[in-house]
Amino acid sequence: MPTALPSPNKVGTTQSPRSATEADAIRLAQAGDAAAFEQLYQLHSRRVYALCLRMVGNPSDAEDLMQEAFLQLFRKIGTFRGESAFSTWLHRMTVNVVLMRLRKKSLPAASLEETTEPDEETGGPRKDIGAPDLRLSGAVDRVNLERSIDKLPPGYRTVFVLHDVQGFEHNEIAGIMGCSVGNSKSQLHKARTRLRELLQEDLRDQARAERHAAKTQAGLGS
Amino acid sequence: MQCEDIELFLEQEGLEPLPEAARNHLAECAGCRNYVADLTSIVDVAQKLPTEIAPPERVWVSLRAQLETEGIIRTPLPVAVPAASSSWWHSVQAFFSNRALAAATVGIVIVAGAVFEIARDRATRNTTGSPEIARQITPAPVVTSSSTQQVKPSTPPRSQPPTTFSAPAEFASTAQALDDQEPLATGLIASSNSTIDASLRDNLKKVNEFIADCERHLKEQPQDELTREYLSAAYQQKAELLSAMIERGRSIN
Repeated sequence: MPTALPSPNKVGTTQSPRSATEADAIRLAQAGDAAAFEQLYQLHSRRVYALCLRMVGNPSDAEDLMQEAFLQLFRKIGTFRGESAFSTWLHRMTVNVVLMRLRKKSLPAASLEETTEPDEETGGPRKDIGAPDLRLSGAVDRVNLERSIDKLPPGYRTVFVLHDVQGFEHNEIAGIMGCSVGNSKSQLHKARTRLRELLQEDLRDQARAERHAAKTQAGLGS
Repeated sequence: MQCEDIELFLEQEGLEPLPEAARNHLAECAGCRNYVADLTSIVDVAQKLPTEIAPPERVWVSLRAQLETEGIIRTPLPVAVPAASSSWWHSVQAFFSNRALAAATVGIVIVAGAVFEIARDRATRNTTGSPEIARQITPAPVVTSSSTQQVKPSTPPRSQPPTTFSAPAEFASTAQALDDQEPLATGLIASSNSTIDASLRDNLKKVNEFIADCERHLKEQPQDELTREYLSAAYQQKAELLSAMIERGRSIN
């Protein structure tokens, strides 16, 4: 797959004519053409902003990070020779900028190799297999999934958002994150497993809150 | 195939169609079946999340300005005129998203407006701006947000609440924009006990009182150009203060 476009059902805008117009825009931007810069920005900013927003969970930070990523990209656009897809190049810069910011904020280590892999801490991601059935079926919705994504360590979050939300392939993620395809697959699996745990915790909390409310109600009634 | 093999397969191949051996295991193992079903439903919901979110217009405006400053853009773009009906709030927020931009923009607008007003009315000002009024007006407090030092007014600020008097018509939009931002700015540093933030709050209170004084004088003496100049400077100081508070608040939080 030559470009980092998601599958057609993921994005409803600017698909087929993109490569031709994008290549022209890149050439013009390399010559300093203002309209070409804007065209490239308009082509990619919505996806980059969505990525930044999911990574940091804060619109103000997401705007700063997106601006920084585009700025770095445009500063170096003269060196772009098309060895990789422009989109991959842009996303690589964006991910670097975001992870750098997260590191500066002293959040948990933001490298791809997470230091706190849940399976290492807990003896395996499937600790609840055989436990009372906590199936998520029907209980996962966009809101609680978004909330759980926010709780993922940055490395897991990056791979999960790039693959399962943005639709990148593992070879593209490997290019973006500077890792092997196998590593990308492994990180994605761990991210999904961690999300399952977080969602199950959510369910348990909800059930606990409901039980507590019911008790309180019963206490008030008697 | 055992549970561990399913785990290994999922790690290496993801939720690709499972081989027959894996399917046979799932048919017998409720734990693995639930596990795979949960991961599948997570991926299904994730794929329904929006992959594109439109950023605010101000990001491109700011980025373009930076590119032009750095000489990366070599052919200028025509200046876009934002739609007046939909985005006044975003425009105001855009002013305040960057402290330097906010201060510079508001400052330029106010100073330009004041200069225009002064120039326009200078010919008819012979009977206004009397020394008596000038003596009554407290000079605008000089506030430097970087050092948070201030030169106190020569007379104490008055106690009337700042909202008692409305801004003159030519300053109405500026006053409104500043008033809109004030709760955000003060809220961001409300919980901070640092001396810098306390000083910022104190300075803002004083500037607000000074603005109220100026507005009251202008209501009584609409032709008083000296008061108008003080008021314009006070609005500029307030803009700088609010920008500094927002910037500090964001760095704290």
